[in-house]
Amino acid sequence: MKLQVLQENLEKAVSITTRFASTKAQLPILGNILLSAKKNKIFISSTNLEISASVQIGAKVEKEGEISIPAKVITDLVSNLPKETINLESEKEQLKVSTTGFSSTILGIDPTDFPKVPNTLNNKNTIVFSKKEISDSLNKVIFATSVDETRPILTGALFILDKDSLSLVATDGFRLSKKVIPLKDSKSEKKTVVIPKGVLGEINRGIFEADEILFDLEENEKQIIFGIEDTVLTSRLLEGEYPDFEKIIPKESNIKITLDKEEFLRAVKLASIFARESANVVKIKILKDLIKVSAESSAAGSQETKVDAKVDKGNTEEFEIAFNYRYIEDFLYSVVGEEIKMEFLNSTSAGVFRDTGDSNYLHLIMPVKI
Amino acid sequence: MNNEQVWKDSLEIIKVTVSPAIFSTWFSQTHLVSIEDLSERTIVEIGCPTSFAKNTIEARYFGLVQDSLSKVVGKKCDLTFMVKSNPKIIKDMLGEASPLFSVEKDEKSSLEVLQRARVRPSFTFENFAVSSSNQMAHAAAEAVSKNLGSAYNPLFIWGGVGVGKTHLMVSVGNSILRKDPEKKVLFCTGEDFTNDIVEGIRNKTTQAFRNKYRKLDLLLIDDIQFIAGKVTVQEEFFHTFNSVTSVGGQIILTSDRPPSEISKLEERLRSRFEAGLIVDIAPPDFELRCAITQIKAREKGVDISSEQVQMIAANTESARKIEGILTRILTEIHIKNVIVTNELIESMFSKSLETSGKISRSSPDEVVDAVSKYFQIGKRLLLGESRARPIARPRQVLMYILRTHLGIPLEEIGRVVGGRDHTTVMHAVEKITGLATIDVQIREDILKIKQTI
Repeated sequence: MKLQVLQENLEKAVSITTRFASTKAQLPILGNILLSAKKNKIFISSTNLEISASVQIGAKVEKEGEISIPAKVITDLVSNLPKETINLESEKEQLKVSTTGFSSTILGIDPTDFPKVPNTLNNKNTIVFSKKEISDSLNKVIFATSVDETRPILTGALFILDKDSLSLVATDGFRLSKKVIPLKDSKSEKKTVVIPKGVLGEINRGIFEADEILFDLEENEKQIIFGIEDTVLTSRLLEGEYPDFEKIIPKESNIKITLDKEEFLRAVKLASIFARESANVVKIKILKDLIKVSAESSAAGSQETKVDAKVDKGNTEEFEIAFNYRYIEDFLYSVVGEEIKMEFLNSTSAGVFRDTGDSNYLHLIMPVKI
Repeated sequence: MNNEQVWKDSLEIIKVTVSPAIFSTWFSQTHLVSIEDLSERTIVEIGCPTSFAKNTIEARYFGLVQDSLSKVVGKKCDLTFMVKSNPKIIKDMLGEASPLFSVEKDEKSSLEVLQRARVRPSFTFENFAVSSSNQMAHAAAEAVSKNLGSAYNPLFIWGGVGVGKTHLMVSVGNSILRKDPEKKVLFCTGEDFTNDIVEGIRNKTTQAFRNKYRKLDLLLIDDIQFIAGKVTVQEEFFHTFNSVTSVGGQIILTSDRPPSEISKLEERLRSRFEAGLIVDIAPPDFELRCAITQIKAREKGVDISSEQVQMIAANTESARKIEGILTRILTEIHIKNVIVTNELIESMFSKSLETSGKISRSSPDEVVDAVSKYFQIGKRLLLGESRARPIARPRQVLMYILRTHLGIPLEEIGRVVGGRDHTTVMHAVEKITGLATIDVQIREDILKIKQTI
């Protein structure tokens, strides 16, 4: 392999792929990235066996070939080089890196041991989405995924692709987030997959500036492939049965409350100071045209905040419900609009939370027993 | 050799050949999906956790896997690879339902299901207290709920009133429906069953009746002795019994006496009942009554101390009575707005006639005789003036029994026991009620005297 490439391009590609090289893996090759030169391009790939990334950049290739080298060494090296053309040349299992006045030899490993990382999408199945829309939706959903590895299926987000919509769902058993993206006409048959949150977090990290994101589902390989600009990300899909979430979405409610997001957030934050010491419990009391948010701790004290709200509570007299404040906070952070709506049936069944500015967003939180 | 063993043995061979890092990265989570045995060769399907593992094994270790498998199976093997998580791992990790998803199950659907099966939701194994008197029956019922139709079929539970037969039987229905709401369960009494047949005959809808009863997974019939002596009902029940059990359905019956003592029961039914397991439940002992009192008090939201629990348990015989006393305490607290004290409970026992249940028909003189004989004190001394404790205590016991067991009015007791004032009698009853709570000896004395009369 022999080629010339621009430092900026190489730096960007290497920094993206390094994220997915596993430093702790038992197998040394997984801590490496693979450089492979073909025609007028160089593909830079890495994988931690859950996610893989492959970035292609343009290069002046004199001789095709490939080599795998330790990710950390190449990243640190390239990021410190000046912005000019870099010469890369492989010789057996070594990579020579040189610019004007600088030369280095990096020890690599035989690239034949490197796992096969997809670097293109299968165009036939590809579906195109707006990157912004996907990102916005992920922000409203991913935080509700579970961190508990005992139920692996809940550590991912459920994607339901239907004729005219894509629904994203996540739950950890205490709360549930659902966001629907309307589609014009995807011409697709109904497909349901659970994608691990790891790769979704990477898409959302803000390292990509593209307008579009391509989805390609490889059902036989139990793998999803994303295409964003010149980067191809893959992730394995989670296997197992996702809980039937449709059934737990409350169909009716006795109490409806509309209130300002910022004010409510401030009240919850104030309550959290004391709630932290007593199992995170924050109580919400519904009155005629305001709600009282309160928390108390036997060690630290207590507090109460009144928040003006539009309350429609029918015949219900006194109503109080308690939540873990972290769940409410997480929800409020995800809301883009200025106003939210809460709906309750009783103090033991899940509360429905909505962003009044976004009817496609639904959030459920399970109350705490008082 | 099963698939698991074949793959385990092959992995042992592979482990020797490759480095530990390669083995744990690529092979450790693989599993064998299927083996298809053709005459000369064998087709083996191997599941890999990720597509990386699949591609790597296929490309680099194909020969190795093939050789080791061939050695283990003893035939030439053809391999196919697929991405598939080990089903065992997925199953292990299903875990318990989380709050958000379990609530829905408990509150909405299951209540409806329980109603349809006429199973009382409050009768569960969790709130059934177990001690030596009902241990056997409880164990049998639990075994039935775990192996429906195969453990003991039919299960026949018999015992006196208020010992928990129905509770135990319904608990089985409850636990089955909670596990699988799709199961067809029906609870009815012997009388319901009879009425249904009569109605069926009258409206010419016997077919509907048969559909209702004969296709069940679990049939619970309370007080089966009521069908004795009714020819058509017994015949219908006989056929129902056969069709339910023949397809693996479970039948549980309760009665107030064992099948051998139910008169006018057809011989073929009797023999069928006796083919299953017959268990009896004895009246609850003191400790069990304490446990029942605690459970019921918690259900009713009555806050009583453990001393008061013992007081109630010592002065009642059955679970229903305990329930009655607790209801009265609850009413008392609500209406009079008082707190539960020992005195309140004592006065309830000394005043109550209703709670003492069945009143013995023996005459007061017989009781006097029994007490004097039991304590070996002369009748004259017992009814006399002496206030020495060895005499006074048996006298108080006598008054207590006359009051609670025979239900004689206070004045009358005073007259019988050597012309004493009715307040003396009241004091005696309260005193013994209190003592019975803490003193095992007194409890035993009372029980033994009661048995002699």
